[in-house]
Amino acid sequence: MSNPKILVFSTNNISDPGIDLAGASHMDYPESVKIITVPCSSGISPKWILNAIKGGFDGVFVAADGTDCPYLTDCTDRTAKIVEKSQELLTTNNLDPRRIKMAAICSVCAESFASHIKKFYKALSELNN
Amino acid sequence: MSDYKKFDALVVGGGIAGMESSILLGDMGFKVLLVEKESSIGGKMILLSKVFPTLDCSSCISTPKMAATAAHNNITVLNYSEVEEIKKKEDSFTAKILKKASFVDPAKCTGCGQCELACTVPLLDQFNCDLIPRRAAYIAFPQAVPKKAVIEKFGTSPCTFVCPVGIKAHGLVSLSRSGKFEEAYLLYLEDSPMVGTLSRICSAPCEKRCTRNQLEGSIPIRNIKRYIADKHFESFPTPQKKEPKNILDKKIAIVGSGPSGLSAAYYLAKKGYKVTIFESSDKLGGKLQLIPEYLLPKNLLDRDIEEITSYQNIEVKLNTTVSSLGKLKEDGFEAVLLSTGTCHDKGEYPDVLKQKNVIDAISFLQNKESYEALSSKNVVVFGGNNIAMHCARVALRHKANVSIHFEKDRIDMSASKKEIDDAVNEGAKLVLNSQLDKLENADFIIYSIDPKPDLSLLKGSELESSSLKVNEFQQTQIPWIFACGDVTSGHSNILKAISTSKKAAFYVDLFLNNIDLHSEKFDDRLPAVKPNEIKERYNSSFPKHMQFLPHLRADKLSLEEIEQTISEEEIKKYATGCLDCGGCSECHQCVNICPANAIDFSIRPVNYEVEVDTVIVSTGFKLFDASKKEIFGFGRFPNVIDAMQMDRILAPTRPYNAVIRPSDGKVPSNIAMILCVGSRDKKVNNNICSRVCCMYSLKQAQLIMGALPVADLTIYYIDIRAFGKGYEEFYHQAKEMGIRFVKGKVARIEEDEESNLNLFYEDIEEDGQVKIANHDMVILSVGLLSNTSAFEPFKDLKLDSDEHMFVKEVDENIEPAKTSIDGIFVAGTSTAIKDIPDSVLHAGAAAAQAAGYISKKRRGL
Ligand SMILES: Cc1cc2nc3c(=O)[nH]c(=O)nc-3n(C[C@H](O)[C@H](O)[C@H](O)COP(=O)(O)OP(=O)(O)OC[C@H]3O[C@@H](n4cnc5c(N)ncnc54)[C@H](O)[C@@H]3O)c2cc1C
Ligand code: SF4
Ligand code: SF4
Repeated sequence: MSNPKILVFSTNNISDPGIDLAGASHMDYPESVKIITVPCSSGISPKWILNAIKGGFDGVFVAADGTDCPYLTDCTDRTAKIVEKSQELLTTNNLDPRRIKMAAICSVCAESFASHIKKFYKALSELNN
Repeated sequence: MSDYKKFDALVVGGGIAGMESSILLGDMGFKVLLVEKESSIGGKMILLSKVFPTLDCSSCISTPKMAATAAHNNITVLNYSEVEEIKKKEDSFTAKILKKASFVDPAKCTGCGQCELACTVPLLDQFNCDLIPRRAAYIAFPQAVPKKAVIEKFGTSPCTFVCPVGIKAHGLVSLSRSGKFEEAYLLYLEDSPMVGTLSRICSAPCEKRCTRNQLEGSIPIRNIKRYIADKHFESFPTPQKKEPKNILDKKIAIVGSGPSGLSAAYYLAKKGYKVTIFESSDKLGGKLQLIPEYLLPKNLLDRDIEEITSYQNIEVKLNTTVSSLGKLKEDGFEAVLLSTGTCHDKGEYPDVLKQKNVIDAISFLQNKESYEALSSKNVVVFGGNNIAMHCARVALRHKANVSIHFEKDRIDMSASKKEIDDAVNEGAKLVLNSQLDKLENADFIIYSIDPKPDLSLLKGSELESSSLKVNEFQQTQIPWIFACGDVTSGHSNILKAISTSKKAAFYVDLFLNNIDLHSEKFDDRLPAVKPNEIKERYNSSFPKHMQFLPHLRADKLSLEEIEQTISEEEIKKYATGCLDCGGCSECHQCVNICPANAIDFSIRPVNYEVEVDTVIVSTGFKLFDASKKEIFGFGRFPNVIDAMQMDRILAPTRPYNAVIRPSDGKVPSNIAMILCVGSRDKKVNNNICSRVCCMYSLKQAQLIMGALPVADLTIYYIDIRAFGKGYEEFYHQAKEMGIRFVKGKVARIEEDEESNLNLFYEDIEEDGQVKIANHDMVILSVGLLSNTSAFEPFKDLKLDSDEHMFVKEVDENIEPAKTSIDGIFVAGTSTAIKDIPDSVLHAGAAAAQAAGYISKKRRGL
């Protein structure tokens, strides 16, 4: 499989504008990326991630807020725990935990988003081979 | 929002200060209403590149604050709104707030931005300091909170406003300049049928009101419509059969098939009624059939009529003269629309005409067989209306010697100036103050008095004795009979015919639904945008454009159409001259594309009145307008920009996506910054220091050096004021980066032919001589002024200002944020120029004062 599909969870107020900006500035990143917006990354459930991978996505990228979350100050720690649990869940289901990635994407982190995704895409391509 | 009437605090202005005060008060448990005039909160800070002296990303630290404000349970944000009045009411305040119409339902909008891409109107982007355009439908910037689209409309564009039929002339022009001609045809059909016919014979009031008409000449709107119609007919020689979404089980009879009857049938059929058109002659079209081919080709008229009759719920009965209205009722028609137009009553002819070779104008235009006999004959057309002009021009085309006789002066003629001029230019002789009984040498006389309303079918009805009258709803004395067109107004024109038919159809629909006719407004267009507002937007300097000259057939007296359709390239060229007077053109592209169905042009401004215990004014500052300092050429020389524009160019959401200069997109290699522009300057009435300019200039200088490492950068300054924590170090850091500092005043700037700039300056430190330096871009570090809109809501109450028009803190030294009115506080730069840390600090003080005030009051102290 040559064109890995990536699902991105992004946060409404912080990561979304950054990802939007990547598009608005015509930055180049794989078109097989699909984005779902959530209010806060700590609301994501490991089950969703498992479901996405089982449903045909090759990887899930969680765009978190860093320390900027307007709702929770410790949302990064909480999200990290969710990602950890998700990785365990993937392992028990005989799936590669490297299919999940998390990074902080701020409201203007367009370049950083594009480069994270490109790297992740490359890593997933290798995993698929 | 309409549910809330009471808040603890009102905060006016959602910049960093307003947001900070709101959050603090919200955290303390107070209910806050935050009113922001723009569509997003965030103020100036969200637009900045980085902040001094830490060089943190300004948007990265503002966005969380904006999101926290909007997400706060105790804060209600009312964006795109302005506070119009604040009044004292016992021991609290009432505020009148106006929410501007955004034409987007925020509850439905998902912020997807598709409307922006589809919109056909460019306006200057205030969030990019006018460096680039944005669309009329826009989301302020990617980080906007709330991230919802708004549509900017200053009013109805004059061209659209003046059209009696309500055709969206501006929309047609903006679509045409984007090459969306088919979309334009469909937009036209939303408002009116007869697209081809109107594009030929409409008197185009839109062109007369076009703002460009006062300049080099109107946008050729009718010719643009002509292209739209021709292009559509070329692709679709016959219309598709049309069926409305739901066919209603109600029958309407239309008597007469002139433009008013046909259009009424169209409007009613679109709504789903079963419409029957009764026509006594053997053709649809009424008087339109009489308009000569050289003005309105028959195939075009036929195509327009087919467009209407392609509705499956329209039935046409030709050669059918209706003689009893009562019979129609018996036949099950629930409403009747009279559109029988006008006719000649031969009995009214003056006696002198009785023996002569006289023909009335309408019969003349109908009987084309008689034209052969006209050759070389002396034809007198007697009359001053447009029918007379047609007759004269037809006779000229059949080689007659034509004179037009009129009994009074030229200004009394009802034909338009153009119609008269055209006839005269084609060779007709105009004889004014002529008398019928003195006519000599006439082989034929064509007699053209205005035809009278054709009321023959009223014979035997209850209306026979009284004359036919319609009220403001086009309804006659008999409630189920409506009337429109010339039968109500006498001989007039197609615009009147279609506009009254549209109105009649609107009210017939209400009538048949048993809705009170007074309860709905037929025409709810927004008021026309005012000419001086348009001027103001363009700073009175409208971009130049070319004048339109119609393309006419070379041989004047041809029987074929005189005016020619111009090419697509030309149409686009002329359409780009449009000044977009009203903002949004109502082209409806956003409506068609919005996946959330969020766009609604029936939205109107809303007035709120709320009661609050306390108010915090945080309306921020205004930038000094650098064009007031004419010696620097701002506004004239494209490569002289102000500092706010430079901050945008350096910001992550930057307009050009690179540091380049505006005139040609070149990467600048030798940049100058001039400090204290509009500050410490008595000539512009502002002798105070703007405090932040030195520091933001040092910040921008460092960022420019980072972005363009090989560029040379010179700062022209009087002295550098680095007062805050870490600021002096920041200054030294800049010096170490190789930035050149020249102590001296710049006297003036001149532009050379490559759009580079020559700075004439006095070098104070070196030798005091006047020197010249050449730079390829100049940044003016403009000062900050008070935003005097802070005072506007205070009409009865007096909010004191200091001598620079900032809001006065009455006890500055010991009671920060307290104003001259008990209970009204001020936060941030509304009271004096501050940088961001100081604004935040001051907003904290304002929140504490406001909280103290409320608590004290509640405890009865
Ligand atoms: C070019 C430039 C660069 C700068 N760089 C820096 C920097 O690097 N670091 C730093 O600390 N400071 C910097 N500053 C200063 C900084 O911008 C201000 O300190 C800060 O924006 C002040 O915040 P504020 O909330 O008082 O006002 P503003 O940011 O002006 O916010 C006022 C808000 O009120 C709204 N408003 C205005 N009138 C009304 C009304 N009648 N009704 C409703 N709403 C209204 C406005 O739309 C706006 O949202 C810079 C300034 C400039 C000009
Ligand atoms: S297209 Fe509709 S949903 Fe999308 S931003 Fe525009 S108004 Fe909102
Ligand atoms: S109607 Fe047309 S001009 Fe107006 S906002 Fe929508 S797309 Fe833009």
